[in-house]
Amino acid sequence: MSEEQIVRLAGVSRVYRQGNVEVRAVDRLDLDIRAGEFSALSGPSGSGKTTILNMIGALDAPSEGAVYLEGRNLAELSRGELSRFRRDRVGFVFQSYNLIPVLTAYENAEFVLALQNVPAMERKTRVMAVLREVGMAAYANRRPDELSGGQQQRVAIARAVVSEPAIVLADEPTANVDSEAAATILDLMEQLNREKGVTFLFSTHDQRVMDRARRLIRLRDGRLEADEGGG
Amino acid sequence: MLLLSLALKNILRSRFRTWVTILAMAFAGAIMIFYASLLEGWMQAMETNAVSMEMGEVQLHVPGYRDDPELYDVILDPGAALARAESAGFAGSARLLGSGLAAAQENSTGVAIRGIEPEAEARVVRLHRHVKAGSWLVPGERNGVVLGQQLAVILDVGPGDELVLVGQAADGSMANDLFVVQGILKSVGQGIDRAGLFMPADDFRAFFALAEGAHEIVLQRFDPDLPLDDAVNVLAGLFPGLEVKSWRQLQPTLARLLDLSDVSLAIMLLITYAAVGMLTMNAMLMGVFERIPVFGVMKAIGFSGVRLFGLVVCETLLQITLAALLALGAGLPLSAYFARRPLDFSFLLRESSTIAGVAFEPQWYCRVTPGSVLLPIFFLYAVGLVSICYPALKAALLSPVRAVHHQ
Repeated sequence: MSEEQIVRLAGVSRVYRQGNVEVRAVDRLDLDIRAGEFSALSGPSGSGKTTILNMIGALDAPSEGAVYLEGRNLAELSRGELSRFRRDRVGFVFQSYNLIPVLTAYENAEFVLALQNVPAMERKTRVMAVLREVGMAAYANRRPDELSGGQQQRVAIARAVVSEPAIVLADEPTANVDSEAAATILDLMEQLNREKGVTFLFSTHDQRVMDRARRLIRLRDGRLEADEGGG
Repeated sequence: MLLLSLALKNILRSRFRTWVTILAMAFAGAIMIFYASLLEGWMQAMETNAVSMEMGEVQLHVPGYRDDPELYDVILDPGAALARAESAGFAGSARLLGSGLAAAQENSTGVAIRGIEPEAEARVVRLHRHVKAGSWLVPGERNGVVLGQQLAVILDVGPGDELVLVGQAADGSMANDLFVVQGILKSVGQGIDRAGLFMPADDFRAFFALAEGAHEIVLQRFDPDLPLDDAVNVLAGLFPGLEVKSWRQLQPTLARLLDLSDVSLAIMLLITYAAVGMLTMNAMLMGVFERIPVFGVMKAIGFSGVRLFGLVVCETLLQITLAALLALGAGLPLSAYFARRPLDFSFLLRESSTIAGVAFEPQWYCRVTPGSVLLPIFFLYAVGLVSICYPALKAALLSPVRAVHHQ
């Protein structure tokens, strides 16, 4: 694995059983993601986009092959190590925002830093800085049910990037927001990628996201159909 | 600190869920406190009726009297014996016991005659408070008798009616005299109900021509915390020539019955606790299962399963503590109120009745004890913590992928 490679999927398959039927969601996939990329996985429903994100994010394990994140084979990590690995090296942005409902925007963004035992003063500085970057500093004390969908997604992005992970995995980040909010979110992620060097990998159906991605990985039936802009 | 802070936020900011859970537990806790106090009161009433009504805590007799009662087997100088017992910490009353035949109009039956000093008797037993009709014996008044309730039915007499007593006097002569029914007792116990006839000690001495002595001395501890066995030992040392028996030795069957009642009531209490425990568990399960997607997200972003388990347990402990305070706030005053004013079941049971030789009143009082308060609270914590284990474990082990997409 070269130094700039963050993710490597080597011959990865993921097979599910639905009753007596075997479903091959990902089929012998080889894929590399390099630092600083702004990439998107696209393809029809059932093409394996979300499954790939789950495996890269150490939320799911491949049935065959290996997933490497920063050179470490995730299959070799214990449950606790995987949990710490997700906490420290991966940021998640979910389709339904999935903020913790009882926490304010500030507390949601602070959550991962608190898990990392970052000192309170440093937490405050870093969280307020990232909330300002995503334009949510004025809403720091609001809880998710007091925010619009677009605002919640911006807080989710803040939560994902505040701990400076190796990669941010975003599963259909614009699926549940209107086009104006989607544009704002994409601008924001592009800006974080460009200015801070944050690596983003999306799964998407959304043409606007595909248009913005500098690398577009097209999937069909769990296999790589095309890899555009991957260099 | 992170767990405590998160647990507090979850509790304080999810008010509806929190209050549903806490109120369910508090209601269960208050009911348990009240029910335990009511059963404590019932048990105490049962023991009081069995012991304090007539038998007393400890009795003294001359050796062999209980096996073969003879009119002549008396404790000599009962006044001196009572004074010694009093100085050792016991209130006492001397009794005279005999038998005879009672007749009124065309009815007659055998009776167990008891000669008592009404004032002294009132210090050791509560029979004087248990009169159904008429009145109890009045110190100084002669020729009045109080009858057990079934005896009054057999003789078909009521207060103010006359009856004739016939018996064998101590001097060998035929004793007979006319007495007036002064009162009828409520149900006390089978022996007294069917044959008990009480009269002043002076009347007894005159009737049976028995100038001195007493057949039985009944004693009651001044210090109720003094163990009964210790009391018996003290009195045995004080009266080496007399047979000293506690009520448990005098009535072993009754003592066992009361012990068994204690066990069966504990089982009833446990069944009730289990039922209210289900209520608590249901509220807690709901509280965890509705948050599975949130827990999934927390796990996905690095909150470990162990921490999640700790968070759920921490929330539960906080909720139980709040519920326990509310349960105490509601259950204690309720029990204390019914400790002063009884729950009246006289619409079901019109007057006192006897079950297995023990009298029961239709009025039930609560009795607040450390056990009746602390045991339900302890049980609340136990049920809460046991019932949260399964959902907490489920939360700790859940797959974040499935949980995030859980509906």
